[in-house]
Amino acid sequence: MTQNEAADFGDAGEGVPGGADDETPPHIASDFYLWLWFTSEVGRGQIDVPDESPFTWWVDDRLSFRSAGEDKVNAVLTGENPSTTPEARAALAGGKVLRDVRLAIRRDDREYAVTLRGANIAIAGAKLPALLKTGDPAEIILERMFLYEELHWIVGTLFRAFGEARAGDGWSPFADRMREWAAGRVG
Amino acid sequence: MGALKGAISARRYQVLGEIPENFTGLYIDKLNDNAFRDALSAAHKEERQGWVQVHNLLDTEFDDSNLWLYQQYAVFAMRVDKKVLPATLFRAMLQKRQQTWCKANNREKVPFSVKAELRETLETEMLAQTLPRVTIAEVVWNTREGWVLFHSHAEAQNDRFRKLFHRTFGFILRPFAPLDYLSDMPEVADRLMASGGTDLRSVHTEGDV
Repeated sequence: MTQNEAADFGDAGEGVPGGADDETPPHIASDFYLWLWFTSEVGRGQIDVPDESPFTWWVDDRLSFRSAGEDKVNAVLTGENPSTTPEARAALAGGKVLRDVRLAIRRDDREYAVTLRGANIAIAGAKLPALLKTGDPAEIILERMFLYEELHWIVGTLFRAFGEARAGDGWSPFADRMREWAAGRVG
Repeated sequence: MGALKGAISARRYQVLGEIPENFTGLYIDKLNDNAFRDALSAAHKEERQGWVQVHNLLDTEFDDSNLWLYQQYAVFAMRVDKKVLPATLFRAMLQKRQQTWCKANNREKVPFSVKAELRETLETEMLAQTLPRVTIAEVVWNTREGWVLFHSHAEAQNDRFRKLFHRTFGFILRPFAPLDYLSDMPEVADRLMASGGTDLRSVHTEGDV
């Protein structure tokens, strides 16, 4: 689309140019967060990507839940390893779904922490690895953007892996395993 | 904050449009034209917004591109000022002025037109003594790859940003959505959209959660 074409669809007064955001159904993010949690807890929480160095992830210090059909958070678990607590699994077994999850991610010698929030899987509170560059704003920005881009790529890689699993034929038996796990009979 | 330090909480957008070659000079003008400007009157109460440098919100000149363009990254910030009067104090002071007027004019009630005038005068006086509420949100624009990070998740801030960005550069911003990660896997995206949420209650049911 050219700039002029873009302008044709643009601000016609008070509205936001381009109109309202596309809504992603909230269950997709909730299932993604559940998959992240289960595969890190019961699986090994690692992805091997062809021609790329692998990375690992685990649930860090925060999980928040919502009731199905609602957007607002109605239960939050924080502290050390909240994902391993009986309360966390009980929330799932009781019909709650995940709204936000805080992940820790390690790739090579770099560690990230990030909250994935809401239906749009928004990146919030992203802590980047310690910076090597100091002083010069240009170097700081370039390094931070490199790290942000890596984090964005990692989240995208995880989402793609989830997407293939969720859209595949194996999801139903996988969901049965998660149900057993949520009920405390596995893991 | 987040572009230069601290944790990053940002919404990502795709820029719909092609950036002209040698855009630096052009965008210096556009940023300057839409930079934050102080109100001419201290009693101005409407919201004001515009671009400022990321290094200091009082720096509003973009002539030196070394201060906002770092290789492919254009980095600046949106400043929004709004003066808000303390409502309870305003009401109390207005009541006192109305009482004073009644006494001075030997009247029991203040006529509507006088009330409006007293209100306007007091509002002007108080606005002149009030500092604005200032909010800043940083912008990082990857001009090579056509995406922008806006360092705020607040809906109102994002709406203002999209309008100001469009007014300044002529580009529409499209919010990044999770399914964009699957842009080369449309069949997977379609199946995800058609799926329902996974219900982990012991009795196996799947519905849209």
